[in-house]
Amino acid sequence: MPSQQPLASKEASLFRNVLKFYETKQYKKGLKAAEQILKKNPKHGETLAMKGLLINCQGKTEEAFQIAKEALKQDMKSHVCWHVYGLLYRSQKNFDEAIKAYKMALRFEPDSQQILRDLALLQVQMRDYNGYIESRRLMVMSKPQIRQNWTGLAIAYHLAGNLSEAENVLTKYEETLKQPPPKTDLENSEAILYKNYIIGETGDYQKALDHLESISRIAVDKVAILEARAEYNLKLGNNEAAEKAYRVLLERNPEKRLYYTGLEKSLGVEGEERLKIYEELAEQYPRADAPKRIPLDFQEGDAFKSVAQKYLDWRLKRAAPSTFTSLKALYGDVAKRETLESLVDEFLAKTREEKPVENGENLTNGSSTPNNSVLIYTLYYLSQHHDHWRIRNTEKALSYINEALELAPDNADQGELRLGLARILKHAGDVRKAMEEMDNARQKDKSDRYYNTKCSKYMLRNDCNEEAINTMSLFTRNDVNGPLGDLLEMQCVWYITEDGESYVRQGKLGLALKRFHAVYKIFEDWTDDQFDFHSFSLRKGMIRAYIEMVRWEDSLWSHPFFRRAAVNAIKLYLLLNDKPHLAHGSLANGTGDDAVDFESLSTADRKKAMKKAKREAQKQEKAAAEAAAKAKDERKGGEEKKQDDDPLGAKLAQTTEPLEKALVWLKPLLEFSPTFLEGQTAGFDVYMKRRKYLLALKCLLAAHNIAPEDPVVHEQIVRFQNFLNSKPELSPTVKSIIDETFTLTPKEGSLAEFNEAYLSSHADSPRAAFSVVKARQALGASEGAELETLVFEALKKEGATLKDAVDGLALIKEIKGDVGRYTEEARQRWTKANVFEVKA
Amino acid sequence: MDIVLLHPSHIPHVQTCNITNLPENYFAKYYLYHALTWPQLSYVAIDLSKPSRSPHDPPKIVGYVLAKMEEEPVDGIPHGHITSLSVMRTHRRLGLAEKLMRQSQKAMVETFGAKYVSLHVRVSNKAALRLYKDTLQFEVEKVESKYYADGEDAFSMKQNLDFIWDAVKKEEAQFKKEDKKAEGEEKEGAPTGTGDEDEGDPVGDEGQEDKKPKEVMRKVKIGRALGVSDLVEKVEQPKASS
Repeated sequence: MPSQQPLASKEASLFRNVLKFYETKQYKKGLKAAEQILKKNPKHGETLAMKGLLINCQGKTEEAFQIAKEALKQDMKSHVCWHVYGLLYRSQKNFDEAIKAYKMALRFEPDSQQILRDLALLQVQMRDYNGYIESRRLMVMSKPQIRQNWTGLAIAYHLAGNLSEAENVLTKYEETLKQPPPKTDLENSEAILYKNYIIGETGDYQKALDHLESISRIAVDKVAILEARAEYNLKLGNNEAAEKAYRVLLERNPEKRLYYTGLEKSLGVEGEERLKIYEELAEQYPRADAPKRIPLDFQEGDAFKSVAQKYLDWRLKRAAPSTFTSLKALYGDVAKRETLESLVDEFLAKTREEKPVENGENLTNGSSTPNNSVLIYTLYYLSQHHDHWRIRNTEKALSYINEALELAPDNADQGELRLGLARILKHAGDVRKAMEEMDNARQKDKSDRYYNTKCSKYMLRNDCNEEAINTMSLFTRNDVNGPLGDLLEMQCVWYITEDGESYVRQGKLGLALKRFHAVYKIFEDWTDDQFDFHSFSLRKGMIRAYIEMVRWEDSLWSHPFFRRAAVNAIKLYLLLNDKPHLAHGSLANGTGDDAVDFESLSTADRKKAMKKAKREAQKQEKAAAEAAAKAKDERKGGEEKKQDDDPLGAKLAQTTEPLEKALVWLKPLLEFSPTFLEGQTAGFDVYMKRRKYLLALKCLLAAHNIAPEDPVVHEQIVRFQNFLNSKPELSPTVKSIIDETFTLTPKEGSLAEFNEAYLSSHADSPRAAFSVVKARQALGASEGAELETLVFEALKKEGATLKDAVDGLALIKEIKGDVGRYTEEARQRWTKANVFEVKA
Repeated sequence: MDIVLLHPSHIPHVQTCNITNLPENYFAKYYLYHALTWPQLSYVAIDLSKPSRSPHDPPKIVGYVLAKMEEEPVDGIPHGHITSLSVMRTHRRLGLAEKLMRQSQKAMVETFGAKYVSLHVRVSNKAALRLYKDTLQFEVEKVESKYYADGEDAFSMKQNLDFIWDAVKKEEAQFKKEDKKAEGEEKEGAPTGTGDEDEGDPVGDEGQEDKKPKEVMRKVKIGRALGVSDLVEKVEQPKASS
């Protein structure tokens, strides 16, 4: 439909220029031309719309929307105005509104391929598959000769779950081909494999196999064909064919476990025979690790000992630092880890015998002899063994690693071993010395980023944030956004998260939130990243990979990187909800040791403290702003970036609605990681505070399903029942739902008894004791001294870990127990842990 | 250690592995670009030392090779290119780099008909140089002056893929023979293709290429926000200018 406002020919040609300038990203020129038209025709809607679009490209979004609205007012029936309106919304990632606007545009210009394509891309991005199917169908109808259009429609059906229609569409296109495309046609090769992938998903393996064999000579992705052939045959019970296919695959890649399990299944082997298969394969592929390592998983007792010995011999003789890593997975099995220890001990004795350790002086010149490296890495294995968390004998671990260090001349091995030493110290809680040793390792080879990375990480563990970023900066690009800016840009999630957790430990809640939000932003970016591939992949034709990408994106927010940041952020927001003063300057050190005990102050003193804190905060912010300005000056010529108006995260921490902010994190956590225990327990806390009792109960029930005996779940059950016992005002529906579904506490007996019963049935667990303490507190049932005794007892339990002891310290502080005595007792058991040191 | 094809879900951990080991880093979208343009070519080594907490948890990556085909080869010969390769220090001396590389190279030949594969390495990176030269048998083609953003030179290295072509041809002949015989033969693996050399030297964890053209560095910084096609052009620029 033509515009309602035709232009004179001169202006019309100017308008065409505006479009051209926009497409070639010459926004200034475009704007100039648009203004020229508007001078004569100030109310020309489409020109106004284009002006809005161009202004938006210059970053002036608000103004752009105003102009675009004005444009629509002038020319309601112009597809250009609506299209622009949609593009503006799209640029703001408001995809729902963008889709609406595009649909309006299409109403006035139903044949526009451009608008249809833009609409389709948004629909698939938003997973509006029905809409996507419709748009794709229109595109096929308008240009049926283009294969991409058919493939696009098949994708739409496939993603919507309509496999048969997806297959049909692909077949229909194939039938239009007069002769088969040549083998060099990659798009064809992938399209036929894509069709096979769809048939495979229907579960009709016979049909899938037949189709596969019909294309196996044409498709060029050999691995895909071989894997599909193996899988289909196995599923169909064609064991001989499956076996053959798996053997071909193993020949290609003897380091893929899936092939071994496939081969085993196709052979149906058990017991002795099973081992024999692996012995044969190990002989066939002497350099492969898998056939030697896998039998350690399924053999037991003496049989285990025999395969383990062979494997250890092979690995230890090669002096590889990773031998322990390869075997760690077996350590859950007590018998196996004991066998491994005695075997390595034997190996060590033998190695020592073969070549008695020479005097240190003979070893200082030149690199270690091969035999010495065997000895060194056998000692290294034992140090890692004794440092394993199930064993954790720090003294033994240290003595082995120190012996190894003495043997290793000043060469590459030194770095490797210092890394091991630092790790042991970290596990023992001596984060300060661990950091120093890691820095030693780094100094051995400053060009190796791995050392640099680990050193920075250990600095963060020791809360030396400044040193950490300075160390990182030796490898980051510092000229544009500074080292931290580069790490954010390069989506270095581990660093951002560790930095945030360090700030949590230091009570710098604003900075901590700042970092966790940066992780959130990275996940948003990863979500947006897929957008371009909706069209790109159709052009490239690699459809199977595209489908895998879409499916991965659908579960992206379940990633452990996100979960870790989310749990942290939710805890902070809960804390800020209870103690908003923690958001303010020095009061934010509330979790630190030198914290002002804000809550015990009088009202007047609170006001004073608050004022002081605010003054300090202002000072800090000013300093940070100045530092940022200075850094910018130093990077002269650098691209002008948007100024961060909250570099310390103070605004984030001072939110007036912490619970709403917590929800932003909680929702994706519950939606995408429903079986993640910490997510459900965090959800319970948030919803209780928000007085959304049914939602809280839902989380509690889910958590109970995941881990019925978990201490946190127990504490929450008690708290929930206690809440119900307080006879809260609840609507009859809510009440009846709770009555029906919440049956986790016994009908008989008191809640306190229930709590104590849990304690006695989990007598070995320090965490259980802590949760009972918290539950007792919630019940208001016992005296401070009794609580304290429980925490002290927990400290002495055999299975108590350093982390338990640290949690206990926090709890002792919370119940205002004897912190001094607690740290003293903890220090006796964890002699190296810095957290229990006496402050000078 | 499992050696498997790079899957999109591996990317966050591959990215971590890369930024842990190497100075040349990329945003996730650039890895996606590889995985969705040449899905057959990139491989990862997966750590099996910890059972994952849930079946949906992505595995930890301890090594990877990120590879591509040269899209517009200057010499007109189809060839592959190693964008980045690294193995965690904790997993050295297992021959992982070589195992990853061989999988990638085979697919370069089979799927894309590559004749050779190229890569860049910092002239100062002795360990990587040894890996490529001695273990993987690459040859130094030339020195590219100031190739890296910090001004360091790069060795441009190459490996001829004839040895894989021979194996592939042998395999095909074998399959044809098998087809003719139809069935009834004893089970027997395909003839050995890649000669499995001894792994020898410690396998390095380096080797990479700078994706950041020197002249237009600042543009690349906002690259993640660009469309994929923009990404491609940016990537090709250093080639055209060198």
